Amino acid sequence: MRRSRFAAVAAVALAASVALTGCGRDSGGGQDEAKSVAEGKASGEITVWAMGTEGEKLGEFAKAFSAENPDAKVNVTAVPWDAAHQKIASAIAAKQTPDVSMIGTTWQGEFAKTGALDPTPPDLIKKDDFFPGAWDTTVVDETSYGVPWYVETRGIYYRKDLAAAAGFPDGPKTWDDLKTMATKMKQAGVREGFHLQGAKTGTWQSIMPFAWSNGFDGLGADELSFDSPEMVEALTYYQSFFKEGLSNANLPEGQQEPDFVSGKIGAFISGPWHIGILEEKGGAAFKDKFAIAPMPTKKSGTSFIGGSNLAVFKDAKNRDAGWKFVQWLSKPEIQVKWYQAVNDLPSVQSAWDDSALSGDPYLAVFGKQLEDAKAPPAIPTWEQVAAAFDLEVEKLCKNQADAATTAKAIQQKASAIGTGA
Amino acid sequence: MTSAPVATAPARSVGDSPDRPAGSIRRRQRLRRALTGWAFSAPYTVLFLVFMAVPVVVSLVMSFTDLRSTDLRNPFAVNFVGLDNYTRLFSDDLFLRSSVNTLVFVVIGVPLTIVLALAAATALNSGLLRFRALFRVGFYLPVVTSIVAVAVVWRFLLDPEVGLINNLLRVVGVDGPSWLFDTKLALPSLIVMAAWRNFGFLMVIFLAGLQAIPGELYEAATLDGASRWQQFRNVTLPLLRPTLLFGGVVTGIGYLQFFEEPFVMTQGGPLSSTLSVSYHIYNQFGFGNYGYAAAASYVLFIAIVALSVIQFRFLGDRK
Repeated sequence: MRRSRFAAVAAVALAASVALTGCGRDSGGGQDEAKSVAEGKASGEITVWAMGTEGEKLGEFAKAFSAENPDAKVNVTAVPWDAAHQKIASAIAAKQTPDVSMIGTTWQGEFAKTGALDPTPPDLIKKDDFFPGAWDTTVVDETSYGVPWYVETRGIYYRKDLAAAAGFPDGPKTWDDLKTMATKMKQAGVREGFHLQGAKTGTWQSIMPFAWSNGFDGLGADELSFDSPEMVEALTYYQSFFKEGLSNANLPEGQQEPDFVSGKIGAFISGPWHIGILEEKGGAAFKDKFAIAPMPTKKSGTSFIGGSNLAVFKDAKNRDAGWKFVQWLSKPEIQVKWYQAVNDLPSVQSAWDDSALSGDPYLAVFGKQLEDAKAPPAIPTWEQVAAAFDLEVEKLCKNQADAATTAKAIQQKASAIGTGA
Repeated sequence: MTSAPVATAPARSVGDSPDRPAGSIRRRQRLRRALTGWAFSAPYTVLFLVFMAVPVVVSLVMSFTDLRSTDLRNPFAVNFVGLDNYTRLFSDDLFLRSSVNTLVFVVIGVPLTIVLALAAATALNSGLLRFRALFRVGFYLPVVTSIVAVAVVWRFLLDPEVGLINNLLRVVGVDGPSWLFDTKLALPSLIVMAAWRNFGFLMVIFLAGLQAIPGELYEAATLDGASRWQQFRNVTLPLLRPTLLFGGVVTGIGYLQFFEEPFVMTQGGPLSSTLSVSYHIYNQFGFGNYGYAAAASYVLFIAIVALSVIQFRFLGDRK
């Protein structure tokens, strides 16, 4: 009895699947053509979604845009980061999108592949204005679907006093420098010479700079090949900090900053937001105690580039005005003003000529680093690949797994996941 | 012997049904009554269909497709892949790992929670009469406290350097481990935390169950010379069986879906040692693998049904 019912269910399912395979995927879509944007001032209502601080501050900031374009009104909806991905995905499914939305760089591939994003009009937005690494995050299937809004990159934060005592008053310049510095710091009694992330989400952002600096070039939009000698060497180097006790893989969250301030950690790798955090934790006087070095070089000194993009939707009610608003936000002088409002680093290269940015010794390091910084390819499966990467690397850092085995394991997972093409 | 029921069957059906002499008027009346009935239940039925049945069916169909988040605009332009998602699940290391973790969590966590709750309920029912209200509130407090607040406190308790537990251990000369960063201790730590957080709810239920047991039974048992343990064993436990069954089923369902504890405490780490099935499903939805995640959800659903059936078998009424 039970058996025959199962058979019936299976038969129905089979019949349904046979009947429905008729409406399967179409193989290979046509390339999206970018349409031009009408001349003249923007008009009408522009709805914009933005996350975090950007969402809170953009509404006020956009009043200057309305002043320039009296017929246009910008409506900003602040979306919490946690809910943003889901909200945008639901909006796309329901075809009820805003005109413009902020898009996390790693979401770009996924949302562009749904066909919901409007290709960037080249007559309005010039590719060469932006940092190349940042621009690449908007490109899916050789078409750009958005504009980099702000960027961030990684550098080495180090304690000046401890580094000078270790013989590197100007910070580490090469991989060997970094290793020697961390080792000497450790010998001088510093608990962790160079703290590195050994587990949890986003470890890949600390490792990829080393791989790229070592000449690794395995991340393509159609194929991911992690199992290369360059990657293995970078993983070996990364792992050596854990093996030699220069970094603790089990540091509790929120412990890194106080330990850096108290001198238990000599150096770590992070992005520009840590300038503010360190000033807050260490007090105003601490600002003279630390410095930032660009990524140490091997074959190059390539870093990771992150940030957020702005995209216009195909289902936008006010597409042209949306693009004009995006273009306005990409003007160098507006990018500088935006930096002054919320501390977001400009994605437009010429904005960095402004003394507000180039005059700051810390920011200048990041500004220089942005010229040599890469992002993973904008593919829909990247977050899943990255999660698998993080997991394998955790074994590398905590269980002393072999670097070559790790690279193979990452590759195996990445191949199984695919690029979502 | 075997033919007897066959012989009686038609006779009973004639006697039971008033259909035959009723005629068409009866039938029309009956139809009208049915329609009225449906009309009255329509609000519920429609709500049920729209918000329960349809989503369930859609998600079941989804689990047989390769639907991904990139198909959002054309959800019908996907391929049916049959049982592919289901077979892939069982070769997915992380899914298998999370299944083992979840099983450990349930097998240790559910009995632990029930024993704790029963102990607290018995104590409150017999001994601690004076401060009963205070203890009841105290034990129930973790149930109503936000998991986020609980997580902050527990992370502080379990911190390897400044944590209360390791500081206490240090007093007696033991160097405490780093609880949440050890692959062997992270899951047990979460089990203890979950038991602590949830036993208050069961305790209240058990307390109600205990108070429903007539006092005469204990009096009679005392007269017969039964010790406290014998009374508990032979009076309390059998009479509490329906309540225990309820507690076991409810806790089992909750624990099979355990998600919040690793989500706020360990993010599934270290080395996936606290990754639960629900957490894995959550991640897969996050990665946009909707079809695959739906398939995993149905496997979890079947596991929950199976566990509940087992519990009914062992604890249910044996009449």
